[in-house]
Amino acid sequence: MPDTTVTAVRKPVARWWEVRQLTALLRAEVLLLLPFVVFLGLFEVYPLVNMGIRSLFDQDGAFTIQNYVNVFTKPQFRTAIRNSLLFASAASLVGGIGGTFVAALAVRLPPRWRNFLLSLYALPMTLSGLVVAFAFIVLLGRNGVLNLIVRRIFALPPTVYFNLYDWPGIVMVYAFFQIPLMTLSMAAVFENLDPSLIEAARNLGARPWQVWRYVVIPVLLPGFLAGMSIQFAGMMGAFGTVLALVGMAKNLLSLQIYSHASESTYNLPQAGALSIVLIAITATALALLSWGARRLARRAA
Amino acid sequence: MIRWVLFVFLVLYIIVPMLMPVIFSFSVFWQDILPQGFTLRWYEAILTRPANYEALMVSLIVASSAVLLNILITVPAAYALNRMGSKWGQRLREGAIILPLVFPPLVVGTALLQAFTRPPLALTGTLWMVIIAHAILGFPFMFRIVLAAFQTIDERTLSEAAASLGANLWQRMRYVLIPNVLPGILSGALLVFAISMGEFEVTSMVAGFTAQTLPLRLFQQIRNDMRVASAITAFLIYVSFLSFILMTYLGTRMRRLQAT
Repeated sequence: MPDTTVTAVRKPVARWWEVRQLTALLRAEVLLLLPFVVFLGLFEVYPLVNMGIRSLFDQDGAFTIQNYVNVFTKPQFRTAIRNSLLFASAASLVGGIGGTFVAALAVRLPPRWRNFLLSLYALPMTLSGLVVAFAFIVLLGRNGVLNLIVRRIFALPPTVYFNLYDWPGIVMVYAFFQIPLMTLSMAAVFENLDPSLIEAARNLGARPWQVWRYVVIPVLLPGFLAGMSIQFAGMMGAFGTVLALVGMAKNLLSLQIYSHASESTYNLPQAGALSIVLIAITATALALLSWGARRLARRAA
Repeated sequence: MIRWVLFVFLVLYIIVPMLMPVIFSFSVFWQDILPQGFTLRWYEAILTRPANYEALMVSLIVASSAVLLNILITVPAAYALNRMGSKWGQRLREGAIILPLVFPPLVVGTALLQAFTRPPLALTGTLWMVIIAHAILGFPFMFRIVLAAFQTIDERTLSEAAASLGANLWQRMRYVLIPNVLPGILSGALLVFAISMGEFEVTSMVAGFTAQTLPLRLFQQIRNDMRVASAITAFLIYVSFLSFILMTYLGTRMRRLQAT
């Protein structure tokens, strides 16, 4: 009984000290966080909010939702959205499947070669879209080296070439970014796949397809979906390489935003409205994919 | 066996496209399957033609400034956030992954473009805007790497140990914390530098005519003069390649530090 009274008296004192220490600490930390908060607030949050507000006014400053109506009624924008969705899905699938394949191979290599391969596949991350566009023009353009070689071998006329400047070609060039990106995310996922789990399933008499269906895929799928959301989001906003390859000849949502923000069709509120729609599409896709991944993770557990 | 064939194929998949501009940049001309002659003329054109040289200088200034800005913003913030508990840090790290996905460079560019057109901050079209845009684009990468560095070194224990030996805040920073997180800071700095050197999309939106960076120059040259374009492209590849070699080296050093 006396013991409890002693602690009851002592505890608040200790707490009071802790609180004072904590507030002192917090003050120092708030100071350290200041540049971070100011910079992001001023140059990331404020511009985005500002863009959202301005998209609700026309160029003379009168309130309107015309910019958003345009997005969904003008054929040029509707085609752009449809093309962007198709293009982003196609490029993500190519990148997702290709990257998973590369990662699956990488984890089966001896550590030295695996690290080499993964370092090499980290390289495209910082490469300029223009660099990759240039490289592929030299390799596969109308008179690109590979086209010349194939033509020479099969004695084909110069009218035959792999067309880099249409959708399949553009997807292929973007795969050079997407496959390595997916490789890096999936390599981590594959390393988490416990081989003893597969062993155990086999010992319990599971057939190969059952091992895949009930052991491997449930472990891999959440990571795969996370990787796919990075792929899809990246592709919705991509335009540099397309611009370098075909200029404005292809109609994508990203290219429409770019041209309304900085080219002859200059109309910033419209570009803002298109950007907000782009954010909404990407956010929806990310939410769906993460919801799917969480559900799968729960079912696996 | 088939595993190694695939391995070689996958290595070539990255190497061959990257070699194309490099070979192109050293050859006198390349119209047929094989390139002809050897020359350094196109690299010379980067240094001797004023427009190219200026673009190179602008790119170097922008990239260095974006790196400096990021160090000033992320290092104190990462230190503070790491102290505030792992839950916050974890959430912010996830946030840093999602941020550039939901707000891609294109959108950030469109937003920055119209936010700073009037005094006191009439930045659009100036070099400042380009630097700020590059700093914002590099920020999520820098932040993740630096925060991870603070999280892996067990900063609290180190600081307490140093404090118990009588080190004040400055000494703790100078002799204990900074040396421990330095590989992380340097890795992040290299990544931001490499991204900034190659950035084209946002730059072309916010730069105007005053701040032409090397990639903007490259975009013009792809249409006008493929040979000068090849030298600029090759140069940008060297920059990426060098940063990655250094980052890999720093990564192995960091892992060795953790192991000991």
